[in-house]
Amino acid sequence: MILFERVSKTFQGNVEAVSDLSMEVAKGETVVLLGTSGSGKTTTMKMVNRLIEPTSGRILVDGADVAEQDPVRLRRNIGYAIQHIGLFPHMTIGENIAVVPNLLGWSRQKTDGRINELLRMVGLEPEEFRDRFPAQLSGGQRQRVGVARALAADPPAVLMDEPFGALDPITREELQNEFIELESEIKKTIFFVTHDVFEAVRMADRIALLDAGRLQQLATPAELVENPANEFVDQFLGQHRFQLSLLTRTIKTVLHDFPQAVTAAGATVPGARLRASNSLIEALDMFKQTRQSTLPVYEREQFLGNLGKEQLLRTITKVLGETEASP
Amino acid sequence: MSALTSFFEKLGPEMLERTYEHVYLVFLAMIIAIIIALPLGIYLARSRWAKLTSAIMGAAGVVQTVPSLALIAFIVLVFALIALPTIGTLPALVALVLYALLPILRNTYTGIRQVDPSIIEVATGMGMKPHQILFSVELPLSLPVIMAGIRISTVWTIGIGTLCGLIGAGGLGDLIIKGLRSIQMDYLLAGTVPAAALALIFDWILACLEKLLTPEGLKYRAGSEV
Repeated sequence: MILFERVSKTFQGNVEAVSDLSMEVAKGETVVLLGTSGSGKTTTMKMVNRLIEPTSGRILVDGADVAEQDPVRLRRNIGYAIQHIGLFPHMTIGENIAVVPNLLGWSRQKTDGRINELLRMVGLEPEEFRDRFPAQLSGGQRQRVGVARALAADPPAVLMDEPFGALDPITREELQNEFIELESEIKKTIFFVTHDVFEAVRMADRIALLDAGRLQQLATPAELVENPANEFVDQFLGQHRFQLSLLTRTIKTVLHDFPQAVTAAGATVPGARLRASNSLIEALDMFKQTRQSTLPVYEREQFLGNLGKEQLLRTITKVLGETEASP
Repeated sequence: MSALTSFFEKLGPEMLERTYEHVYLVFLAMIIAIIIALPLGIYLARSRWAKLTSAIMGAAGVVQTVPSLALIAFIVLVFALIALPTIGTLPALVALVLYALLPILRNTYTGIRQVDPSIIEVATGMGMKPHQILFSVELPLSLPVIMAGIRISTVWTIGIGTLCGLIGAGGLGDLIIKGLRSIQMDYLLAGTVPAAALALIFDWILACLEKLLTPEGLKYRAGSEV
């Protein structure tokens, strides 16, 4: 869907922001560009919709070289969201969402319908919100509008530059979870920039870790955390290794640690079940919420076994030992 | 009461005519100044030619530092040198336009420059063309600042316009000068009071216009509830 072929970008004064980058974002995949400021992650993203032109190399979107396309038309086909400041303050929420549909010349009826649909999708009641102005919304609400606006014309690919960056940690996590859920429904190709390793691990199908313009590792969150490709990646994860492991390890991956798992589904609180794809953190949360000592684990509708709280805690202790032991 | 009646009987028609002349002169100067300064300010704000920008802004600033009386005198002299009429509407108009330019130019320039660059970038990233960004993002967002410039400029021009009486351009300055030369308070007042009133009235009208043109969304402070 988005293909980088040996892309480099050198800014004036010989600052090399991106250096010989080759990678591919598959259709429907969420790839998170992760790195510190100055790592070239935003530059990399902005080269996709030609806000920045590469010095060398090619970028292909859907098989077509972006350099050969009209930038205006290209941009209208790629969603774009940035930190909350990106909403137009003089336009209502509805008008903000309607920007790209209007540029594309949609009929008023179609645009109106789309605004309502999108607002509902991001959890804002259209009757209440569409005629308000950005300044009348909270940070979290504005950010939801930002996401809705990026999706307005139903683009196949969406670029997001730290879209949740300006939010407090609680709202941020709430929006991340909402977005993950939304994303699983709409199945867009998403290119997402962040400096927050936890955000990256939560959102990404794959993470592209950049440093000084070079791609250090492109891997799934679990791979990145368990098998850092080089010393830089290892150091970048650093002291967060343990928490990240709890996020990336799913119940399924540690299920073999429970040979004594009972095979019959025990009677528990209705609805209190774990999914095999849940992370260890989520499992811990579930135990805390339900106050059970064992919970059944399911993969889709198939019962896999019971997981005891004690067993989970023992596994977590083991993970802690492993992550401390690694260099 | 009878003093007032006789005042108006004596000076009323002339006051009206001079006021009309004054408004006409100011109006014409403002229209010309806006036609020049607004596009120039927009152009400078969007151009990357920093030297040109500072040269033009600097020149406009220098004009502003010349005392208005001296500026009028200079124009008369220059006009005399190049054989243009030194008396009447034309030199007066040139002086007023020169004076009126800077506040409009500066406010247009800073108004557009103060629009958050990330907003421009997101507009570009969404596929707006430069003229679409200008008309639907930059101008609406800088309109309050631009209008404030026009307002300041208008009030100044009304005041400086009285000096144009010196070079036979008519207007309320005529009455003031007559009053000064013949030491007659009633002439002085007949020129000064309408000039002051004009400044106040135009300031008020333009303030209303400014409020009307300010996009509604900018009237809310960030985070405030309805």
